[in-house]
Amino acid sequence: MKIFATLARGSLIAYTALFFAFIYIPLALIAVYSFNANPVNMMTWTGFTTEWYAQVLGFKTKISENALYLESTSQLVEALWNSLIIATSTTAIATVLGTAIAIAVYRFDFFGRRFYRTIMFMPMLMPDIVLGIALLIFFVNSGINLGLKTIIIGQCTFLISYVFIVVSARLAGMDRTLEHASADLGANEWTTFRKVVFPQLLPGVVGGALLAFIISMDDLVITYFIAGVDVTTLPMFIFAMLRRGIKPEINAIAVMMLTFSFVIASLGLYLRSRQK
Amino acid sequence: MTSIAFRRRAQLAVLLGPVSLFLAVFFLGPLAIMIVTSFLAPGLYGGVEWTWYPHNYGRILGFADPMFEDFDPIYIAIFLRSLKIAAMTVLATLLVCYPAAFCISRLSDRWKNFCLFLITLPFFTSLIVRLFIWVLILRPTGLANEVLIGTGIVSRPLDLIYTDGAIILGMVYVFIPFMFMPVYASVEKLDWTLVRASLDLGAGPIRTFLRIILPLTAPGIAGGAVIVFIPALGNFVVPAILGGAKVMMLGNLIEQQFLAARNWPFGSALAMMVMTVMLVLLFIHVVVSGRRGFDPATGH
Repeated sequence: MKIFATLARGSLIAYTALFFAFIYIPLALIAVYSFNANPVNMMTWTGFTTEWYAQVLGFKTKISENALYLESTSQLVEALWNSLIIATSTTAIATVLGTAIAIAVYRFDFFGRRFYRTIMFMPMLMPDIVLGIALLIFFVNSGINLGLKTIIIGQCTFLISYVFIVVSARLAGMDRTLEHASADLGANEWTTFRKVVFPQLLPGVVGGALLAFIISMDDLVITYFIAGVDVTTLPMFIFAMLRRGIKPEINAIAVMMLTFSFVIASLGLYLRSRQK
Repeated sequence: MTSIAFRRRAQLAVLLGPVSLFLAVFFLGPLAIMIVTSFLAPGLYGGVEWTWYPHNYGRILGFADPMFEDFDPIYIAIFLRSLKIAAMTVLATLLVCYPAAFCISRLSDRWKNFCLFLITLPFFTSLIVRLFIWVLILRPTGLANEVLIGTGIVSRPLDLIYTDGAIILGMVYVFIPFMFMPVYASVEKLDWTLVRASLDLGAGPIRTFLRIILPLTAPGIAGGAVIVFIPALGNFVVPAILGGAKVMMLGNLIEQQFLAARNWPFGSALAMMVMTVMLVLLFIHVVVSGRRGFDPATGH
């Protein structure tokens, strides 16, 4: 019986190791192969090079003499720039609105509270293609030109939900005795909010903002439908590249994006996890 | 007193007003317009004609107006195929996550949190990048075939990419965090004294699993199944990248209606089918899990 238990335990641990390998080995592979010099088959190792990175970052390389490659680099920079503009704007809007509604739902008692809580989960649960086409029909019917503006509005509809969830988790875990103490000691509501509630809330707000930023940077489906013809974001650029055929520099772009997401998301998740 | 109550009301209005307006105009509004569009006739040159036209649904479900066009079973076939692929994705994701959840739930707090962090992290990295990796692995000249040929298991490259299997693999890879979190939440709450009691009283491990462990973790499984099934059903990025032109799913069909065929009413009707499945699933989930209230973040 003891042998069985040990065996079961061992295989469970081995399984979990495989589980993590399944998640992370592909990510590690892409990092390794982004330094592969083979320009034709990216999965056949022929030598170490940093040329693809240099290429993406716009340095002069042997390949960049080729006019075709040059063109795609300037498009890439433009796509990146668009993504950054969009992510910054959506983060600002979604953070303010998401925090406001979280405070309202968790600190006020009013008719329709349950309704608001439910409706805040809707944009997250909704398949993104449905939200994407609904927004497309809406914008076209109301005569708004598709572009950066519509992407920002469209992304906010679901990013508010993410901020709401992170901030409300923080609010739900907060100790209210401090607020009561502050009120008992004569601080007015605004002072209490500023000096007691807000400092406690801040990690949640920052965490929510970081997650909103990263999700906005990575959003493909909704953006794809409401971007119109002139604006391309980074995920759209890669999607288009993948549909045309794969070039080795995608590896380098992918690794840089992964690194960037890892850093921001780690920070966001860290802030979110510091509940107590 | 009334002035305090009034002030609270004013504060509430400031907090709720802008968000309510924003979501009413840019979330509920577009959904309402999409619902209306799905009942309108497609115009000749890609616009919409303002006439009552339920045949968009007929084209999918099989009661098309015989005057204009015949019922083409291709659409219902795509719908059923999408349901099948989504269901298989749910099953595969569950099989991948369930044992791991047990192992991680028995770790020390430090390791537990670290593992949860590692599982959540990929959710925040680019979807397209994570799928692109699988293109490199699965394509005919990719890593998987190279390894298989190199070790002599096969002599010619296998068709790994552009298959149903590739789509399911891609979706499992992407949806792991969605399934893991709710499943883990109920596995962690599992009362092990009940398991021990069952074993002590003579039930075998299989019986104990089926009668004790499975029912107790069922809420997490159900929650995970719902939040994986919904995005899997309407997914268009995964089939577009890993399914190529060979495997058409609802998501691709919707995209095609909007960006290529320019038949918006039909595309809206297809999207409504996805919405309906989602609402039915959520409704069943809420009813089955009782009146405890549904929290999609944890699946309970």
